[in-house]
Amino acid sequence: MTAARKLLLSLAIVALAQTGVLAAMVIDRVRLLKSGREITLPIVPVDPRDLFRGEYVRLGYDVSRVPVRLFEGPAPNPNQAFYVVIEKDPDGRWAPVKISRTMPQETSTDRVALKARARHGWPSATSDDRAVSVRYGIESYFVPEGQGPRLEALARDKKMAALIAVDAGGDAAIKGLIIDGALQYEEPLF
Amino acid sequence: MINNISPLGQRKGSRRVSWYRHRLERDLTRWRAEGWVSEAGASAIRADLKSRGSAFGAAPVFAILGAVLFGFAVMSFVAANWTAMSKLVRLGLLFAALWACYGGALLLFRRQLNAFAHAAVLGGIAVFGASIMLIAQMYHMEGNPPDAVLMWAVGALLAAALLRSNPALAATFVLLAVWTCYERFLAGAVHWSFLPAWVATTAVAVWFGWRPGLHLAAACLVTWVIPLGYLVLDHHAHWIVISIGIAAAFAAAAAGPAIDRRLPASAAIFAYGTLVAFAGLYIMQFIDRVVLHDIQDKMWTPQLVLLAVLTLALLLGAMLWAVHTDNRAALWLAYGAFALEVFSLYLKTFGTLLNTSLFFLIAAIMVSLLAWAAYRLHQRKAPTEAAP
Repeated sequence: MTAARKLLLSLAIVALAQTGVLAAMVIDRVRLLKSGREITLPIVPVDPRDLFRGEYVRLGYDVSRVPVRLFEGPAPNPNQAFYVVIEKDPDGRWAPVKISRTMPQETSTDRVALKARARHGWPSATSDDRAVSVRYGIESYFVPEGQGPRLEALARDKKMAALIAVDAGGDAAIKGLIIDGALQYEEPLF
Repeated sequence: MINNISPLGQRKGSRRVSWYRHRLERDLTRWRAEGWVSEAGASAIRADLKSRGSAFGAAPVFAILGAVLFGFAVMSFVAANWTAMSKLVRLGLLFAALWACYGGALLLFRRQLNAFAHAAVLGGIAVFGASIMLIAQMYHMEGNPPDAVLMWAVGALLAAALLRSNPALAATFVLLAVWTCYERFLAGAVHWSFLPAWVATTAVAVWFGWRPGLHLAAACLVTWVIPLGYLVLDHHAHWIVISIGIAAAFAAAAAGPAIDRRLPASAAIFAYGTLVAFAGLYIMQFIDRVVLHDIQDKMWTPQLVLLAVLTLALLLGAMLWAVHTDNRAALWLAYGAFALEVFSLYLKTFGTLLNTSLFFLIAAIMVSLLAWAAYRLHQRKAPTEAAP
């Protein structure tokens, strides 16, 4: 192979590989948003004073605090992923029922497993009433520029929830924001 | 040896060349005066040096800086959260920018403008990283942020290896350091996955035979080793870091010729080993536990004195070895560490000011004795060297 051909090939491989990685990120996410199971989680304000600070929102959920006693087996290492199984009660509210180190096989339609990481590490003491603060990767939301004040006005005194898509691996993504039962902002796929 | 200039290092290391030129100029004047070098010989040497030094111009430096700035421009674009366009348009723009960089690199390589071509490759790597962040933002992905940095580093390493690009390799080392620091910050545990990634990247640096790249590899490893004491056993196990540093320095000193036959690196390994050992000792004496709890009671003083004596002895030993092997970098490093150690000890004081003064007096006497011994040794050695 001549040097010129080799150079062309090398550059093509680098560009294709990097494009491929980026495309895979997008495709994986679109697949999750399109075919993932939909659940609705009520949002609890993290900072009630200004929820939509700038164009970036921090979202908190009821299920973001999980009682440590739900965990089976030795505590996960810091920053190691684990799985939280949440269950829908008759009122339609989701609540954590189990924590597991590996992906649990849940067949019940009222149960969903979510991949999670401890936010500030695992609580050291093992008393029963302790809760671990977790993140599911659905805690930040970028709102379109200029939409912040509008959403903030809507969110004031109204019930907010997030429409979440969950895939078979426990990965979750925000599909949209629901304010007073109406889908206010839906995430376009492309 | 650090002073052995590899063919690649010669063109890249402008400071080293200018330092060398300065020194050579001084020596040439003296040799001329002594009559060892003819005027014609001196001019020929100067002309040769000039022709070798000129390969390092301003253009490649600015091209690389331009690529870095270009990367920052793309990244601040990310921060701006540009929403006027649809996602598809944004993705298209990112892919176009990526391909434009590598396409530009192809054209520049073909025109033999290699420095600019490597800058374009670096630009491509910057766009790749910015795209990862932008796509994560567009789709509200959080996941584990260090994973994104690792993905970026892998992309950079691929570009470095396939295109034999030194700047891309340097970027990979920087990204690896960011990755391991980020992961360590989040996990608070030893980040073992760093080691295979480091070995792979360092293998590429060895294959390139690029000296600055090997220094980056060492610096990258040092940033991983120094905090190790906080992460293992009782989280104050800095003796492990000290042992690693001393072992590396000793290995470099003992097996120097054997190492240098394969790769002239023993002098650098000695310097980095000394640095790691000193960092561990310094953390143990002045940072860990002390800053937080300010343990300064009498229980601690003997331990501190012991550590201080060990540190000063180690640094003196390193200086002696550095002088013996003409290892300039290690010598300056040991001088600097010695000054820092003494200054920190002075601020800390051993219980009472009188004890501190006693410590410094004893240290002063010992170092002076060493100076005298070194002088006598030199006196005895000098005539035998001059004889033939």
